[in-house]
Amino acid sequence: MAEFNALTESVIKGDIKSAVAETQKALETGQDIQSIIDDGLIRAMDDVGERFSKGQIFVPQMLRSAKTMQECMKLIQPHFKEGDVKAKGKVVIGTVKGDLHDIGKNLVSMMLEGAGFTIIDLGVDVNPEAFVEKVKETEADIMGMSALLSTTMPAMRHTIDALKEAGIRDQVKVMIGGAPVTDDFAREIKADAYAPDAGSAVIQTKKLLGLS
Amino acid sequence: MRPIEIPTFQPRMKVLNREQALAIHTAALEILEKTGIKMEHPTVLEALAGEGCRVSGRDWVKIPAYLAEEALHSAPRQIALYDQQGNKSMPLTHENPFYGTGSDATFTFDMETGERRRSVLSDVANYARLVDGLENIAFCMSMANPVDVPVIEDIYLQVFAEMVKNTNKPIVFIADSGKDIARIYEIACLVAGGEELLQQKPFLLNYSEAISPLRFPQNVMERLIFCAEKKLPICLPSGSNAGGGSPVTLAGAMALGIAENLAGLVIHQLFGKGSPFLFGPNVSVLDMKSTVVSYGCPEWSLTQAALADMRDELYGLPIWAFAGASDAKVMDAQAGAESMFSIITAMLSRCNLIHDVGFLEYGSTSSLEMVTMANELVAMSRFFVGGIPVNDNTLALDAIERVASGEPGSIFLMDDHTFEHFMEAQFLPTLLDRSRYDSWEQSGALDMYGRCNKEAKKILATHQVNAKSDVVLEEIDRLLRR
Repeated sequence: MAEFNALTESVIKGDIKSAVAETQKALETGQDIQSIIDDGLIRAMDDVGERFSKGQIFVPQMLRSAKTMQECMKLIQPHFKEGDVKAKGKVVIGTVKGDLHDIGKNLVSMMLEGAGFTIIDLGVDVNPEAFVEKVKETEADIMGMSALLSTTMPAMRHTIDALKEAGIRDQVKVMIGGAPVTDDFAREIKADAYAPDAGSAVIQTKKLLGLS
Repeated sequence: MRPIEIPTFQPRMKVLNREQALAIHTAALEILEKTGIKMEHPTVLEALAGEGCRVSGRDWVKIPAYLAEEALHSAPRQIALYDQQGNKSMPLTHENPFYGTGSDATFTFDMETGERRRSVLSDVANYARLVDGLENIAFCMSMANPVDVPVIEDIYLQVFAEMVKNTNKPIVFIADSGKDIARIYEIACLVAGGEELLQQKPFLLNYSEAISPLRFPQNVMERLIFCAEKKLPICLPSGSNAGGGSPVTLAGAMALGIAENLAGLVIHQLFGKGSPFLFGPNVSVLDMKSTVVSYGCPEWSLTQAALADMRDELYGLPIWAFAGASDAKVMDAQAGAESMFSIITAMLSRCNLIHDVGFLEYGSTSSLEMVTMANELVAMSRFFVGGIPVNDNTLALDAIERVASGEPGSIFLMDDHTFEHFMEAQFLPTLLDRSRYDSWEQSGALDMYGRCNKEAKKILATHQVNAKSDVVLEEIDRLLRR
């Protein structure tokens, strides 16, 4: 395994300038792309995730690390060849129809991205058909829905129904969250997972995909 | 000549000087004029354009500062809420603080089992009746987001009817859109005895929220227009919580929240010039570890005290505030500390309408015991804010002389002056326990939670709410079935 300690350290610190320089150096010296990602960037983000869940660092520090990783990925992407990099999993995410509150959803997106997942963010007020269409089109592994209002919670059920009607309910795992949402509600509408916050969303996603 | 009376200073807190207040206000105007807002209600967008606002793209609109200044002039400075029997119970003029509960908690602590469970409709009734029976809790909100309403679209209508049936105090209510607010209004008219009486003596105030940063959804605007046209008091705080909906620094968070409030006020006054609008954003913090919006932090108390200063320096409109809540998961020492912190500071800064009393778990869980405790903490704070009256009677030189020169055994406790004044001269707690150890132990060794639980149960078992007439109750039920 190649040594990417300097890169890992820079990502953990959220030092964009030095992380980008380290990535550039790794690319120039012909390091394996998958290895730069796995042993450099994702290793750093795993460490960041662990520190965060232990309460050792704060959200803005974690997000800065995620941003640092994204900047490094921008450099790496042009070097991708077909089949070079295996994605960890694809997540289609959005707030449900009628709900415009997206701070929580955005946080989940950023954390999942930081953990190495591919995010397809549909934004706010997403109707069931749009969810279904995107899940089909991208062959997503996870569909994440968020609702802040009790009046928009039924839209979660409707969206799951729409997946069933489209015949793709068993092809995707459904994860839900948002202030009034509970574990009981998730079971009631037969969602596959409930995440009370962004950190748990990452843990649940990994569990759903058998990655942990 | 009569001696000059010495005025009593009532303890008072200030957190901003005039320069700070003006700078935040100016920043808010700059946000409206240079950044603008996202207006998703087409009629409102048109109306704003007609008033000289610049519209760009589909729904982005920039509001000139003079419109905000005009709206601040036309909105009434005196808002009074009445109880449901037509008595003026909450004059929201600028020195008067009124405390009340909050809305939409997902969970509640069951009074009998002590367990945290999902809220149901009967909880709304219990909270309303408890509020009705507590002297220092002035108004009622739902405290619950009940899981057992038959039709979810009618949740706010059901909850409102439940409150009306169980209290006569003023109600701060939530609605979803222009549809359910109209039905809630119908119930309110029934209770008040007609539309005209309701407009004259409103007993309710709508709580609506824009979405920070700077987003004004269609359904929220429907409610705002409805209230403006019907002269129904409304407040429109956004969730400009520092680090979440707004910048992490409190000045910027306040500027953004005030800009959103001013935008709401401009629209409100366009659709109902002179209609009552309670001012103020909610500026708490997004916790940097858990990402919850904190209900126990010092920042929220600080920003609303700052807003009270801005009210005094600039706005003149009564303000919306919070207190008596906590981030603690159970009613523990943290809950006591945090709720008292916000209760006393809200009073010291003279906030007006102060909601969220009785919340635990950053507003996710309600507690009857917390509300009951807050009732006493408000009383304690009121006593403190009353200050120290200084006059011949309170200086009590006569009593001192009597005791000093009196017969052996002459003591203050026996003196008439003590008998005549101890009730107002001292704060006499009922739940805060000062008993000697042995008697505390003999009466069950209950902690504060236990005593509040007992008291809440007692009030719910014994307090009689003046019932609405059968005709009104039948009409309400008919309206609910429709």
